[in-house]
Amino acid sequence: MQLEKFYYDNKIVRNFAYATVIWGAVGMLVGLWAALQLVFPSLNITQYFSFGRIRPLHTNAVIFAFVGNGLFMGVYYSLQRLCKARMFSDKLSYIHFWGWQLIIVAAAITLPLGLTQGAEYAELIWPIDVAITIIWVVFGWNMFGTIIKRREKHLYVAIWFYIATFVTVAVLHLIRSGELPYTWLKSYSWYSGVQDALVQWWYGHNAVAFFLTTPYLGMMYYFLPKAANRPVYSYRLSIIHFWALIFLYIWAGPHHLLYTALPNWAQSLGIVFSVMLIFPSWGGMINGLLTLRGAWDRVRDDVILKFMVVAVTCYGMATFEGPMLSLKSVSAIAHYTDWIIAHVHVGALGWNGMLTFGVLYWIIPRIFKTSLYSKKMANNHFWLGTLGILFYAIPMYWAGFQQSSMWKQFTEAGQLKYTFLETVTYMKPFYAMRSLGGTMYLIGVIFMIVNLYKTARSGKLVANEETEAAPLVKEYVAHKGEHWHRWIERRPTQLMILSLIVVLIGGLVELIPTFLIKSNVPTISSVKPYTPLELEGRDIYVREGCYTCHSQMIRPFRSETERYGEYSKAGEFVYDHPFQWGSKRIGPDLAREGSGNLKKTDGWHLRHFREPSSMSEGSVMPAYPFMLENDLDVSNTEAKINAMRTLGVPYEKGYEKRAVADLQLQAQQISNNLINDSIRISPKKEVIALIAYIQRLGVDISKNKTTTTNK
Amino acid sequence: MYKFIKQYADTMTDANIYPLISLFIFLVFFIVLLVLVKRMKKDRLTELSNIPFEKEEPTNSTL
Repeated sequence: MQLEKFYYDNKIVRNFAYATVIWGAVGMLVGLWAALQLVFPSLNITQYFSFGRIRPLHTNAVIFAFVGNGLFMGVYYSLQRLCKARMFSDKLSYIHFWGWQLIIVAAAITLPLGLTQGAEYAELIWPIDVAITIIWVVFGWNMFGTIIKRREKHLYVAIWFYIATFVTVAVLHLIRSGELPYTWLKSYSWYSGVQDALVQWWYGHNAVAFFLTTPYLGMMYYFLPKAANRPVYSYRLSIIHFWALIFLYIWAGPHHLLYTALPNWAQSLGIVFSVMLIFPSWGGMINGLLTLRGAWDRVRDDVILKFMVVAVTCYGMATFEGPMLSLKSVSAIAHYTDWIIAHVHVGALGWNGMLTFGVLYWIIPRIFKTSLYSKKMANNHFWLGTLGILFYAIPMYWAGFQQSSMWKQFTEAGQLKYTFLETVTYMKPFYAMRSLGGTMYLIGVIFMIVNLYKTARSGKLVANEETEAAPLVKEYVAHKGEHWHRWIERRPTQLMILSLIVVLIGGLVELIPTFLIKSNVPTISSVKPYTPLELEGRDIYVREGCYTCHSQMIRPFRSETERYGEYSKAGEFVYDHPFQWGSKRIGPDLAREGSGNLKKTDGWHLRHFREPSSMSEGSVMPAYPFMLENDLDVSNTEAKINAMRTLGVPYEKGYEKRAVADLQLQAQQISNNLINDSIRISPKKEVIALIAYIQRLGVDISKNKTTTTNK
Repeated sequence: MYKFIKQYADTMTDANIYPLISLFIFLVFFIVLLVLVKRMKKDRLTELSNIPFEKEEPTNSTL
């Protein structure tokens, strides 16, 4: 048959590779900054770079900028070669690349400005969400176009992982972005309380699954055999790995909400499927590692294989730990502690980081038609990276265990042994050690940047790499008794639809009952909507990213009810758009901060916001003096009340007209209270609204002890 | 959110059935998958796993 000559587009691969490297370094640097802020609170410089704004910047940069560009680099390189075709459209590639970079820049500007939706890894505001949707469609269009015009009949397993990534991320993003805009930058989550929490962690966990894992597994199935120069250990196993993984992953989200107010049946489902996930995950890991059978001697000399082996091993460790952490008894210890931070960094630094580096060292010399500038430097990078992961993770695991046991210890007299503040100051050395690990890892990345730069300089980009292949014969006649998978492998659209069905089953079984069945969220008659001032205060709480350090969810343990008061009920959060349960306690839980033993005076809060360490010595909380200076913006209060009413919060009709007057009245009362505390401050300041919100927390439920359920 | 869903069930009875149904769905899915994969032919699998290598791109460099 006549061979067709065509060209691979290496320029787009190079662009994504550069973006991966640059954003990776930025994201990690921001992470290091956030880590150091917990050791030296004075590094919370100005309102724009306080921990609560920096931490989302770090997570978004690493996930969507570093790993995002990394996966696009891997997909654009491998897809063309696996399909024996150039990317479908150079124009779409171009729009995809620059669109994604613009989204990242927009995120990097808006997050420090405090423009956030207050949901972890879904912080970006609604106009950016719209842009992500458009660019994601462009990516999918380009990918499917390439698959359709391919010259290779069958779709290699890596491509299935890419297809599942595209489909599932699209579904996750659309459902999580359910929001009601009330200005051109701001919006409220469509969901509230328990439902918002379920949607959030269904999304959050599957962002890990389908953004950080499946595309990287696809890359593993392409680049690891290429680097080892031998086919994957078991193609059968890869088929089982793929289908079982995408089926199971989507159910696992509720394991982030064990012992919370989420209905028990949903928690149980999350646990069952999380535990089962270990099988496909380890199947994949074993498949990766056994691909090196008979080639382990090469791992000693080949730095790319070293990176890949550590990556796959970290994948195995993180996916063993995940199911363990999903057990209720383990979650009781680990949740809210630094153990989780250690766990995610084994995944991010180990699995995503090391695999990205391996792929970069593999791709760059090839597309520049040269050899790597310095093998020694790459080796140094490998050791700095590997040791960096250990120096990061070990102190964090230790900190996690220590934190948990300190939170739970009682004296013989039956009182809590440690104040929360004591547990915070105890953590500082661990946070310092973790920063050291992070620094080592980052230095390794800088080595790589220099190495790749010199490599690129020593060669010349083969922007259009010439190759040839036989065209695909269209008139393929299926023979009788053809194997089902052989059939599906030729049909990308059907494969996409089947993947979509498989991933939707789990999500729908969990989400639909939570939304439709009233008894899942027993109502509490004393729980009332926030006053306008409290609502404004809550928006400041969201803006400052308080949820990055403070939970609002008391679990039903004696150690928690002693410290924070009665455990949290689902009905308490019905007006919370978005929910603010948090996932980490760098500071104490705030669910009942305004009631019971925890209640403090307005003056205490004001002084604490101005300078936390003046009220709590050794506190690592950022200071918020600007809130005492800035006036509260009430221009959107009316729009906010209207939006909340549309979302089902029972503000009476016409209330929006009186809202600002009510707000001013309540602010004046707080300002008067502060005079009794020898503080004179205008009622117009932002801090007044935040105090109103904090003082409201947990108050409703103590007003009326009798709760009504619909049972 | 309730406002958008006019009709919803009042109570959730027998919630335990959910994990059971889910487990059943997965088991059926998984067993069917295992059987089908087991029946795939060896030479076919070898061919598929060699897709990344079929037509070697020019390798001008090694590390």
